[in-house]
Amino acid sequence: MLGIFKILLRNLRQGPATHPFPFAEAHTPPRFRGRVTMLPEKCVGCGVCAHVCPGEAIRLQPSLDNTGYSFSIWHNSCALCGSCRHFCPTGAISLTNDWHLSHRQSEKYTTAEHHLVPYLRCAGCGEPIRMLPPELAARIYAHKPPGVENLGELMKLCPACRRLEILKREAIAAANA
Amino acid sequence: MTNERQTLTLPVGPLHVALEEPVYYKARIEGERVRSLSLVMGYVHRGMEALAGKRNLFQNVVLTERVCSLCSNSHPLAYCTAVENLADIAVPPRAQYLRCLAEEVKRIASHLFNVGIMAHVIGYKSLFMHVMQVRETMQDIKETVYGNRMDVAANCIGGVKCDLDGELATFIRAGLDKLKKELDEIIRIYRHDKMIRGRTVGVGQISPLDVVRLGLVGPVARGSGLPVDVRRDSPYAAYPELDFPVITEDGCDVHARAMVRLREARESIAMVERILDKLPAGATTAPLPPIPAGEAVARIEAPRGELFYYLRTDESDKPLRLKWRVPSYMNWEALPVMMKDCAVADISLIVNSIDPCVSCTER
Repeated sequence: MLGIFKILLRNLRQGPATHPFPFAEAHTPPRFRGRVTMLPEKCVGCGVCAHVCPGEAIRLQPSLDNTGYSFSIWHNSCALCGSCRHFCPTGAISLTNDWHLSHRQSEKYTTAEHHLVPYLRCAGCGEPIRMLPPELAARIYAHKPPGVENLGELMKLCPACRRLEILKREAIAAANA
Repeated sequence: MTNERQTLTLPVGPLHVALEEPVYYKARIEGERVRSLSLVMGYVHRGMEALAGKRNLFQNVVLTERVCSLCSNSHPLAYCTAVENLADIAVPPRAQYLRCLAEEVKRIASHLFNVGIMAHVIGYKSLFMHVMQVRETMQDIKETVYGNRMDVAANCIGGVKCDLDGELATFIRAGLDKLKKELDEIIRIYRHDKMIRGRTVGVGQISPLDVVRLGLVGPVARGSGLPVDVRRDSPYAAYPELDFPVITEDGCDVHARAMVRLREARESIAMVERILDKLPAGATTAPLPPIPAGEAVARIEAPRGELFYYLRTDESDKPLRLKWRVPSYMNWEALPVMMKDCAVADISLIVNSIDPCVSCTER
């Protein structure tokens, strides 16, 4: 019996263990899995995030005028599991530690993050293409195709033109050798 | 007046029996004594197994995590292990250790929750509040390391999503050092306190023979002296490399089961420290091969006992069948045995002693 009284007295001396939220900010660790956000300049539109998302909270859709694709994150469907962040090949998706996601019913259909990621135009044929960030291009072309000094030039081409260009340069490199 | 004693059926539940989870008990009582018991279940059936067949293998990792909040790491771990067994994926050693880490962290929190609720059922509110406050250390660790207080989202197919750095390891160690002292204090109270012993010793008895007959698992079996532990009996993840004893008590009663949980929580702290000491470097995920058609099973020791997953796939990315058997499923059957001739006031205490998980059982 004495044991518990000693503990209770100690707890009493220590004061409240709770945070006085909402009158003071509650402690939030930096790794807290909160609202999902996305950086359009890093997105390659592969859609793996939408594929692994358990609540289908992420939606990628080509825009009507075919100038890019829309990327939406619906916060109300999001389970904050972090799968999109884990599987994103370019690190475009991340989770902030913002957990203030409660909102009024009237904001139900606006509690989302929308982006329009524009297509680039292929320098060869003019086809709309999805952007490939330099870090990912360096990983894909890690073997350095012969005759290619600048990967940036290649990335301005659509996949079909790119294959042709690489073949052309390989042939020139082989002829020169 | 006749000498015959009157029996009547006392409805207990479906709400607020011990935990705030719905099960409806029909107790046949004679005076103050329970003579027999039957259960009515199914209030929180959500059709999750059918739902699993509609989602792809990646989505199901998160779906299984939502089966139950207290074993929310054991379900995805068992599921991922089943997928890995099926596709022959070799999980890297660092991921194996990190999986054990998440399991043990969750186990400590789950066991402390249960013994805390036990104090609450007895009416020992001050002890309940204290245990829940002590448990906050584990909640803080989960929130800081994994980013959520309950759903740690540690597992993915082929490894773990969450890595650990030196700073976080130091944070975990500091938390555990604090918790160790407080837990030792709590163990002393539960072992010797007159009020606790008065309400729990000799209550809800189940013999080792009945444990075997009913196939009981987890702390319920270990509280009756049977050393049943999947971590030891069919090792998985990094458990073969983590030296740990299987904790048993011989009391066969509510008190013994609570003591098993407390001592296991203490042991899990030591295991977490061992994991942090031995944590190998390297990758945290394995590359994913195509998942072939076939079937696989996995067994995991969840905080409540053996958790069993069965997975059947065709070559598509959606499982044909995902079935799980949870520890509470077997442990429910112990209740009619434990409650034979117990006092009506002990019903909720005995229910709590099997650490029932209704949302797991009915999913």
